[in-house]
Amino acid sequence: MIPVEHVLGLSAILFLIGTVGALTRRNIIVLLMCIELMLNAASLAFVGFNRLWPVKEAGATVSALNGQVFVLMVIVVATAEVAVGLGIVISLFRNRDSMNVEDVSLLKW
Amino acid sequence: MNGLEALDLSVLAPLLFVSGGSLLVLLGEVLLSHRATFLGKATSPSWIGTVLSFVSILFLALAFFSAIFPFGEGTTKVFHATSPMLVLDPLANFAIALLTLAGIFVCLMSVTYLAEMDIHHGEYYALLLLATAGMMVLVAATDLMTLFLGIELMSIPIYVMAGFDRKKLRSNESALKYLIVGGFASAILLYGMALLYGATGHTDFTEIRSALASGNPPFAAAGALALFGFALIVVGLAFKVSTVPFHQWTPDVYEGAPTPVAAYMSVCVKAAAFVALLRFLGVTLESFADRLHSLFWILALLTMTVGNVMALIQENVKRMLAYSSIAHAGYLLIALVIGTPEAYSAMLFYLVVYLFMNLGAFGVMAALASRGEEFDTLDQFAGLAKARPALALVMTLFMFALAGIPGTGGFIAKFTLFASAVNAGQVWLVIFAVLNSLVSVFYYLRLPVAMYMKTSARTPARVDLGSGESLVLIACAAAVLFLGFFPSGLDVFFLKSADVLAWTKFAITALVFGAA
Repeated sequence: MIPVEHVLGLSAILFLIGTVGALTRRNIIVLLMCIELMLNAASLAFVGFNRLWPVKEAGATVSALNGQVFVLMVIVVATAEVAVGLGIVISLFRNRDSMNVEDVSLLKW
Repeated sequence: MNGLEALDLSVLAPLLFVSGGSLLVLLGEVLLSHRATFLGKATSPSWIGTVLSFVSILFLALAFFSAIFPFGEGTTKVFHATSPMLVLDPLANFAIALLTLAGIFVCLMSVTYLAEMDIHHGEYYALLLLATAGMMVLVAATDLMTLFLGIELMSIPIYVMAGFDRKKLRSNESALKYLIVGGFASAILLYGMALLYGATGHTDFTEIRSALASGNPPFAAAGALALFGFALIVVGLAFKVSTVPFHQWTPDVYEGAPTPVAAYMSVCVKAAAFVALLRFLGVTLESFADRLHSLFWILALLTMTVGNVMALIQENVKRMLAYSSIAHAGYLLIALVIGTPEAYSAMLFYLVVYLFMNLGAFGVMAALASRGEEFDTLDQFAGLAKARPALALVMTLFMFALAGIPGTGGFIAKFTLFASAVNAGQVWLVIFAVLNSLVSVFYYLRLPVAMYMKTSARTPARVDLGSGESLVLIACAAAVLFLGFFPSGLDVFFLKSADVLAWTKFAITALVFGAA
């Protein structure tokens, strides 16, 4: 069985990659992907932490599943966010013909 | 599962009205625009929007009254007796009443505006109702899961609404910036929730509190994990209320979004996120105001100073109001620094007054926009008092209220807030806040000066005022004056139940004493 620490380590690395990517990349689609990566890192952390917290109920050890249910919610929300995000990107692309965030600079200061 | 109780759906009435109304409006848009006739008459698309706006106002009003009606009956826990997902306590009901009222005003001011901008689609109202439903979940959330779902249900429709004028590049840009920054913030928030869950094993606020207070962490790193989790959650919520290091998106998004949407965001998102922040910190952290005192002290000072100083140099009124909303978030943070019931109730009163004065100010701009053109630069406002004296007069009133000039609700709101800070011994913070208010008078008064003392060759293109717009402006102006003169002496009008200050105090007691 994979130790919990490894799951959490992977989730931290994914979160960092996502954060650094979201802060440095210039392509809008890649930005959305980086945000997805951050959300998935959090989901992975939830699943990993869920293993840490077994609950004793009626003699047998069962898991409370809070963390795993949370992940289902996150998946739904992330999908909705990406759907809306791509819609916004398309309406921008129709007006601007560009996928670079540096071209989106009408509003400043 | 034990502890599950038979669910009385009437408790959730506000939420059900609003989300059901949203689905109905969405369906109505499809059916009506497909048939293009309504009761045998040919309908233009704008007609459909008007009908659907009335439907959404009806549902928002139903939600408003069902939140007001049980007010004073105590707390109802939804879904679970011991660790509820949502709590409909007086604070939640108060916030729901506030949010639905703002929603009604935004619907009213949107009708003519959207028709002028040629974007009058029924989906707008469906999104507005959905976002309001998300805010209701957010203000009632007592579990990390519902907190996250509430934030997302609030934010995702607003991303779309910010980009609703999709042929305009400014609106696209506003939506994109809000989406990227908002998505980034909710990812940070979610990671914080994961860490907090890992450190405590619970997602329920009260259970997190008892797990933290028990003092025997299950593994060595639990304390550090919990601290880091709290930090990330506070950062995520700080993005939503736009406190200073995380405020950069606010002016861009407000400037580019359609005016009623900017009004809705500045009032409702802020109010909902503040109530959620208050509930999350108040329930999960024992005496959080003492522990996070210096953090919030610095945040409050930075937020109001940066907001006010940046507002000084703006030429676009919407942008100026965006920076002013950042400054107001700074004043509201003072309540979190102090952490007394008095300060919390002052914060809620401030949110009520802020609703009326800010919606009024944005409403004037929405009422002047015409044929696809926004009316939002200081130059456009020059000489407005000659062309549209009534609008110039109410705009002046709202600016006075935002600046906190006596005789308006803005003064009473600032006064109660600052007085509670002085009573708690935070004299220096109040001195900075008052200095900041003085700075803010300068930029708020630029508008009346432009309207009354400058002349312009151009006159505004719009000459009429929609009935919805005039209703909003009259109601906001009346409320601002009324709260300014009778903040708590309403029995003059035999309206004892309309005593807003007493309401705020009542709303906060359940939170403060219930959690202790």
